[in-house]
Amino acid sequence: MGAVDWVGAVVLGCVACFTLLLLIMPSVIVVAISFTEKEYIGFPPEGFSFRWFVELLGRDQIIESAVTSLRIASFTTVFALLLGVSAAFALVRGRFPGRMAVTAFVVAPQMLPGMVIGIAILFFGAYFAFYQSDAMVIIAMTVFCLPFAVRLVMARLAVLDPTLDEASVGLGATKSQTFLRITMPQVMPAVIGAGAFVFIEAFDNITVALFTSSPRGRPLSVELYNLVQFDSSPIVAALSSLEILFALLIMIVLARSIGLDRLRT
Amino acid sequence: MTAAARPANTFGGGFARMLSRGGLWPALPAIVFLTVFFAMPLAVLFAFGFVTIERGVVQPGTFTFQYFIDTLSDDLFWKVWWRSFWVGTVSTVLCLFLAYPLAYVYTLVGRFWQTVILVVTISPLLTSALVRTYAWLVILGGRRGVINSMLIELDLIERPIRFLFSDFAVIVGMTQIHLPFMILPLITVLSARDRTLEQASLGLGASRTETFFRVVLPVSLPGIVAGFALVFAISYTNFIIPQLLGGGNYTTLAVRVYEFIVVILDWNKGAVLAFLLLASCFLFVLGITYLGNLAMRWSEADR
Repeated sequence: MGAVDWVGAVVLGCVACFTLLLLIMPSVIVVAISFTEKEYIGFPPEGFSFRWFVELLGRDQIIESAVTSLRIASFTTVFALLLGVSAAFALVRGRFPGRMAVTAFVVAPQMLPGMVIGIAILFFGAYFAFYQSDAMVIIAMTVFCLPFAVRLVMARLAVLDPTLDEASVGLGATKSQTFLRITMPQVMPAVIGAGAFVFIEAFDNITVALFTSSPRGRPLSVELYNLVQFDSSPIVAALSSLEILFALLIMIVLARSIGLDRLRT
Repeated sequence: MTAAARPANTFGGGFARMLSRGGLWPALPAIVFLTVFFAMPLAVLFAFGFVTIERGVVQPGTFTFQYFIDTLSDDLFWKVWWRSFWVGTVSTVLCLFLAYPLAYVYTLVGRFWQTVILVVTISPLLTSALVRTYAWLVILGGRRGVINSMLIELDLIERPIRFLFSDFAVIVGMTQIHLPFMILPLITVLSARDRTLEQASLGLGASRTETFFRVVLPVSLPGIVAGFALVFAISYTNFIIPQLLGGGNYTTLAVRVYEFIVVILDWNKGAVLAFLLLASCFLFVLGITYLGNLAMRWSEADR
């Protein structure tokens, strides 16, 4: 290698390392400061204690909003999977005119920012005296998350070997036996992965929830949004640390179910 | 024969047949759902930019371009739009320069480091954007901010530097938070590239640097274009990061939409702004794709 190549390799390596660190450092810092003993945020954190986590559990409002978020995320996951999985079957296996157009329509919400989806449903609801509520968040969130579910399941279905199904039927299995014993087990990892992905997105999302959630029953993301602006105590860091932990758990589920490689696209 | 044994008319059988063989109709629930809760709401949102709607009824004779004219003739709108545009552009360019080397290194290292890179890239995506923005509030904060307290500790400065509530803070936050969206498409394109071209280039006596710029970079153009368009679109329409890291007086077009709808409660103006935000965003994405295609054709002609 010439001198220029060496310089190039060094620059390449340095920037790559810097980017890698840049990706994780902020989360590491937040987790670190959440264990502080002090009343304020500081770095490096002083002492080590779980006091802010204990304090977090003592705040009824935060617990309530966490329950609200869990409820919203659960319903969204169920709806997005029900609608998404069956749509994915039609879009991959179906033979009908306009399949491309239908696919484009079903994944279209992904092209819009969450804010626009939230506002559109808020305005639309006002038409029918349907106001901001958990139900509205769930509907908006399902619209927002449906494309993820459809795309993950479609990707899996597209690589399945249809001859397995044909073999099953050829060997005398019924259509429903084939579906339950041959097709579904192969699709299941993608369904679980899609479910995990939709659940975390619906749990964390702020851009949709901010416009559609009721001020009385705020989801955790909206609660955190207010805390971030108006509360400077390490309790916000403690809550953030828990969310980071939650995200890591979801990632393990994803890595096991569909594999990190597949999540790339 | 087995045909007689098949429970052809049971619910399970019918359901399975429906999913596994062919028609449009397993997708119908999703289509109906999205028509009612996605297409119609969008239509209503845009209608709000032109007409007055009261109690769910479009008021006759209220059709007007006035909201659009008012908005477009407002100097503040253009100021705010310009800020959205350049903050989005700068952070997208920074994203590209930071992401490309990591994505390229991904294709050179072994299995273990590839997994490390993927985990580190994907895990922030699963963490809420709010948490990641909060991290930057902590890092860039005043006296107790991570950077300031370290600089003070090292006696490099006496008084804390004011990082927060500035273009700088917004750009830094946006760049870091949107990095994964740039890295992933680049990794996809770079992993799929044909390595024999590089070997040929090296074998023919080109240096590694030349090979990178004349072989690797051109074939990765589709990934660059995809990542650039995606990151620009999400930066341009993000209102959380500018609001938290830019502070109360910092407005971008997306922040303005939020203010009009949630704070000022002027839905007509809010709808106009949302429409303009979306429309301009699509135009920029089209522009980026167009320029990308030009660059690809040009690089092919060059070879």
